[in-house]
Amino acid sequence: MKKIFFALLLISASLSFANIKVVASTTVIYDLVKEIGKDKVSVDFIARGDQDPHFVEVLPSYMVKLRNADIFFRIGMGLEMWSNQLIDGSRNSHLKTIDLATDIDKKEVPNFKPDASYGDVHPFGNPHYWLDPQNAKIMAKEIYEALSAESNQDEAYFKKNLDDFNYRIDKKINEWTNKMSSLKGKSFIFFHASWIYFADRFGIKTAGFVEPKPGIAPSPSHNAELVGIIKSKGIKTILMENFYSDSAPNQLSQLTGIKVVKVPTAVFGMKNINSYIEMMDNIINQIIQNS
Amino acid sequence: MKNKFLFIVLTVISIGNIYSQSSINPDISLIGTFNTYTNFIKGSPGYGKLNFDIPEMELFVDGYLNPYARASANISYENNEFGVEELYGDIVRGLPLDIQIKAGKFLVGFGKLNTVHPHAWPFLERPLFHQVFFGEGGFNDVGVNFSFIIPTGDVFTNLDLGVFKGASIIPMSDSYAIDRGVNPIFVGRLGTFWSLDDYTNLEVGLSGSYGCYSKANLVVFGIFNQENVQALNHFYSGLDFKFKYSPTAYSVLTIQGEGLLNNRDVPRIPVMGIDYTLASVQKINNAGAFIYADYKFEKQFSFGIKYDYTAGIFGSAPTFLSLANDDKNSTQGIEAWFSYYPVEETSVVRLGIQNLMYHYADGTNRNNETTIKLQFLFSLGPHKAHPF
Repeated sequence: MKKIFFALLLISASLSFANIKVVASTTVIYDLVKEIGKDKVSVDFIARGDQDPHFVEVLPSYMVKLRNADIFFRIGMGLEMWSNQLIDGSRNSHLKTIDLATDIDKKEVPNFKPDASYGDVHPFGNPHYWLDPQNAKIMAKEIYEALSAESNQDEAYFKKNLDDFNYRIDKKINEWTNKMSSLKGKSFIFFHASWIYFADRFGIKTAGFVEPKPGIAPSPSHNAELVGIIKSKGIKTILMENFYSDSAPNQLSQLTGIKVVKVPTAVFGMKNINSYIEMMDNIINQIIQNS
Repeated sequence: MKNKFLFIVLTVISIGNIYSQSSINPDISLIGTFNTYTNFIKGSPGYGKLNFDIPEMELFVDGYLNPYARASANISYENNEFGVEELYGDIVRGLPLDIQIKAGKFLVGFGKLNTVHPHAWPFLERPLFHQVFFGEGGFNDVGVNFSFIIPTGDVFTNLDLGVFKGASIIPMSDSYAIDRGVNPIFVGRLGTFWSLDDYTNLEVGLSGSYGCYSKANLVVFGIFNQENVQALNHFYSGLDFKFKYSPTAYSVLTIQGEGLLNNRDVPRIPVMGIDYTLASVQKINNAGAFIYADYKFEKQFSFGIKYDYTAGIFGSAPTFLSLANDDKNSTQGIEAWFSYYPVEETSVVRLGIQNLMYHYADGTNRNNETTIKLQFLFSLGPHKAHPF
């Protein structure tokens, strides 16, 4: 009996050593960590999939999550302005905070001193890089390296999972690229300035934004300007994150007949979107169907 | 002299910011508030006239000192005077038991609202009981606070214990008051936060404050001799809650309330023919409370209503003699507001109305007072949103 007890104790101890506790700032990172860490990590997230990741209220319950974590992964580039308050509030002096933007080829890095007159311009560049699936591979590699550093003995396991993920996403990138090829060179209106990485990857063009400046609410005069652009360029689609209000895009739709396509840009952003691949599938399929 | 010194400090900070922009500079933010208002007080010469307050300013400077500690300063400009509203250092991690230590001058964690800067409140007027029991600037004091996390699983529970000079608790500059000497006060708050679901959150807190709020030279009442100078103690106990429901990205319902029970020593007012030499200090019990609801129904609009009650007469500088009666007199207030955020929360235009009702135990008749106020508030720079 005693031997069984000690054996169970040893097994549970070894299991607990293997279990890396991770918190992800967004659900996209959450899914990538699950892809690489699988059963060797326990992972939770902060910003819900149906929530604007720029504006997350600093809740003590998030501090509790970080308090018990070994690693906190975030997008970085100033997207999660709220995260430092959570880190401080967690009082976790062993927490490793890792920005996944380190190896990303950053776009729209301002070559001027950005201030609020430009809207919510991120001084380190546009942080919505996860909408390019090639960048998801870079994020996954960064996650693999961090998990391996945390648990050396599981490095091979994480590497196998990374290779498996890269294999699957490479296939999907080919599929998505083929699907989007018919739209190459076409112009779109986007709601928020978050689509530059996606647009560059699939060769589509940006004709304008519903927001007059990043983060600034749509205005009637700007809408009037967009009506002119939509009519003159024959633009067929407005693409927007599903957590934004669609009242201004719907007005544009009534005035011009343009289609409003609301898509999730995070995992769990809508029903049946439970992984990064499902999210990208949904975005691309909706664009194809409505353009 | 003080103003000159602060002007020099501000100038140095500004020049430093312009010429050495760097990631190691602290964050600098400026909050500006401009109020214009009119009072409707029967018989008052200013009845219905428009008044313009001198704009108020708060300059926040804060940043990390090292990976374990932060420092913050809040320099205010109010009523034509500069002042140090807050100046403190804060060890945020790395201490045994994960204690956080905050030392300096800062807003004391008695209740929930007191630690939130007024520019972040959804309403215009500070709760009446804050002003009667803590003073116009709220419970702001010099001292040290120790913050502990209580291990309650997934529920966040925090215990704050602090020792303070007690400057904010002394409500009077009274000829009967004498130096308190070294008589610190003790303040504590136990707060628990629950996420009821993804969209609903609740925090409940219990607060207490104990200490000597003043000493009275009771000789002037003709009751005691000099040896019988009395320490007058207070014990404040408080209950607070905050409920927030955000069903969509653009709608938030906030309901928040606080109550305070005051148990305080006050000199008994001499009455002819009665010997008070054996019982010259009496204990009084009184209370104050507020509750408000604010509903943000679009990204740019919100409205709300607040009810206030406080023992004592709001607005009068309390004296020993008035304090002896503040369990009998009371003030009530109702405030309503409508807020418009033209672009986002960096600026707000707020229209508010407050009606005050006074009750005197001795039958003094005082008309209700109504104030209509229009406020413009802006927030420049990276000043962070307050946590829940």
